[in-house]
Amino acid sequence: MMKAPVGGAKHQLLPSCSAIALLAALALPMQAQAAGTRAGSTISNTASASFDTGGGSTTINSNQVDLLVDELLDVTVDSSNPADVPTTPGATGQVLTFSVTNNGNGVENFVLSTIANAGGDNYDPVVTQIYIDNGDGVFDAGTDTLYTPGANEPELDPDESVTVFVVATTPGTVVDGNRGIVSLVAAAVTGTGDPGDSFAGMGEGGGDAVVGSTGADGTDAGAFIVSAATVTLVKSAVVTNTLGTADPIPGATITYTIVATVAGSGSVSGLAITDNIPADTSYVAGSITLGGVAQSDAVDADAGDYNGTRINVALGTVAGGQTRTVTFRTTID
Amino acid sequence: MRTALFLLFAALLPGQALAANQVALANDVFVERVSTDAQGKQRILLEEPKVVVPGDRLVFVLNYRNAGAQPADKFVITNPLPAAVRFADAGDSRPLVSIDGGRGWGQLDQLTVTMADGTRRAAQPDDVTHIRWAFQKPIPAGASGKLMFRGVVK
Repeated sequence: MMKAPVGGAKHQLLPSCSAIALLAALALPMQAQAAGTRAGSTISNTASASFDTGGGSTTINSNQVDLLVDELLDVTVDSSNPADVPTTPGATGQVLTFSVTNNGNGVENFVLSTIANAGGDNYDPVVTQIYIDNGDGVFDAGTDTLYTPGANEPELDPDESVTVFVVATTPGTVVDGNRGIVSLVAAAVTGTGDPGDSFAGMGEGGGDAVVGSTGADGTDAGAFIVSAATVTLVKSAVVTNTLGTADPIPGATITYTIVATVAGSGSVSGLAITDNIPADTSYVAGSITLGGVAQSDAVDADAGDYNGTRINVALGTVAGGQTRTVTFRTTID
Repeated sequence: MRTALFLLFAALLPGQALAANQVALANDVFVERVSTDAQGKQRILLEEPKVVVPGDRLVFVLNYRNAGAQPADKFVITNPLPAAVRFADAGDSRPLVSIDGGRGWGQLDQLTVTMADGTRRAAQPDDVTHIRWAFQKPIPAGASGKLMFRGVVK
């Protein structure tokens, strides 16, 4: 270490340039990237001076200073999911997507790991696998590469990114609205540490590897949100008879009303309401209604049908917060 | 006596290119490293690096000396900027710069760059390819001086 003799010029500068010989740049062309000058390249500097001491213009060169560019270890991880990923209790193969970028200036491999128990959420997703994308950005266990620590750490060129899929199982005990966070961590195989730490001789091109501003490891969090729905059925009956009373006498008509209420942030699919016609009563043909709209008894385009023993109304997919009302009538034998 | 002086200068300025006409130009590159002492005060140290990393701030120092018997007239120092270095500043010495590989020269704030769509924008330090100091007066015999500029490893 030494103090540099830095000072200003002693002599006044010409207002404009005089014609002199130029030296071609001696520095080798080096590709400058966002991640910086490639590790292992050499920065060479040479200056020249031209002057006239009476015998005509002369040009001399300075000494050449060569600096080796060390490898900077930097990596960032970004969650690629714009919002929490919906999941359901007990679901397997739930996928979070991340992007890992080598911000260093040399080729580097990165160790991947996950953290699911850091808190700040309602439950811990169970990470089952990490996959490395084949380049199409879409998770497919058949074509993407299963990551095995110590075996196939992804190798990234400077500025290169790779998509990583974290596959998890949602515990069966979670309830609607629960949130589960998983963080992906990527760490340089060469080493991690505080910015400025260096690993002698381990850089690309023979120089040192120096920990950059990211600490040579990166992390980002993605989250699942449990989006479940529950169905509540409420059945009621109203009796009418020819006497104008509510007495269930033979010949009286019973109107059944079944209200299906779906609650939660998710939705239920394939929801159907089935009700057997009680003994000693007879179904009133063509009496099924859904939301006040009459349904035919045949299995056809509309949602309702009667098969001789029960009525059935197929509601399909119903989102949380919605209700469906089904009615039908019977007469007391 | 002149030989003795000459040798002394050579010792003071390691790596100096020695020319037959006894005008010499030495080039040193330092890296600015910021360290924080126990009291939390930041100190900027200049080190002679063997290795650098992207983002390092470099200080280029040029020492010139006219060790000959005649004044050196039309004295011009030119430093092509290494491709991996982004020009930062040259203190208050206001050098001429080139942004086109040494064809045109001017003060940085007077140069413009033609964009792909034909419009022009003011030149930025990023555009600088060469730095030049052109001296108005001859360098007297025995005189010396220093120039510096800063750059950042891309």
